[in-house]
Amino acid sequence: MNDLVRPRRFALLPLLAALALAAGCATKEQTRYGDARAVETVTNQFGSTDLQMIAESMTRSMLQAPVIVSGNLPIVTVQEVRNKTSEYIDTRAITDSIRAELQKGGKVRFAVDAAAMNQQVEELKRQQSEYYAKEQAAQMGNMVGAQYRMEGNITSIVKQVKDVKDVYYKVNLQLWNIRNGLLEWSDEKEIRKTTTKG
Amino acid sequence: MNRTWTSIALAAVLSTGCWATKKGFEVPGLAYGCPIGDAKVSSMDDLVKLKVVSEGKRTTIQPTEMRCTMTGDLLKIDANLNNDSSTVKRISYKFRWIDREGMRAWDEEAWKPLLIYDNSNLMINTVSPTNRAADFRLILRSQE
Repeated sequence: MNDLVRPRRFALLPLLAALALAAGCATKEQTRYGDARAVETVTNQFGSTDLQMIAESMTRSMLQAPVIVSGNLPIVTVQEVRNKTSEYIDTRAITDSIRAELQKGGKVRFAVDAAAMNQQVEELKRQQSEYYAKEQAAQMGNMVGAQYRMEGNITSIVKQVKDVKDVYYKVNLQLWNIRNGLLEWSDEKEIRKTTTKG
Repeated sequence: MNRTWTSIALAAVLSTGCWATKKGFEVPGLAYGCPIGDAKVSSMDDLVKLKVVSEGKRTTIQPTEMRCTMTGDLLKIDANLNNDSSTVKRISYKFRWIDREGMRAWDEEAWKPLLIYDNSNLMINTVSPTNRAADFRLILRSQE
């Protein structure tokens, strides 16, 4: 009987040893909150620091544009920032950050943009329904058109050799006068990131 | 008579000379155009000490010159950063905006990375994000 049990015990030993090793080698997962405004260099793809730098640089530059310095609270609509890079970039996040910062500064007012137009019209229509008091409902035909439109491009040049990858981003933003088609302000922000291995 | 005129001319020249050395301090509460409040600032070094703060890992990069001006109702700042070492330095910086009551006038800015070549100067400039910002601090940290 003993002879039959002993081999089975020995067969379990390697299994237990493997389990103990696996438990020892397993990395402990840890989650911590970080600084959302810290310099992020995890990869050389478009990241949070790039987004923050572009938004801040463009906003501060735009604040010095004569049409904004004049203090007439120009009305601006945000159009697309075209992504001409080879990677996916949520360009809406760039224009949203610029818009939020300008709005907070109180120097610019924003008219509803093309992307939000459907929701605006739907809400106006909804208020025209029989469910709302006529005297308090927003009336059709009172929306204010923008005087200026903001648009831009983001481009990149990527070069890679064996152990070096270099990425160059260029963001160009423009503020166009809708009435006369004049370019009222334009600026660029360049970013270079280089990753080396080894 | 001639001696009187010479004395007047000499006094005029001297006062012009004094004016030149006082340049940047002609308006109370300002030094080189930058707001200083009640602080005693008699040189560019004093202004740099007053306005520059080091946070995190210290850097040897220091501004050698700072100048401010108003653009509309916003404060525009130029700061010249100097790397007097023989190696390329990587730092990050941000501005902190303070209102007339000494409270924060704006959210904390993002750290902006910067590369400064060896034995070189680099000018950084910004404009206040809001007219509520009456004062500022330039914050530097090493990214090495």
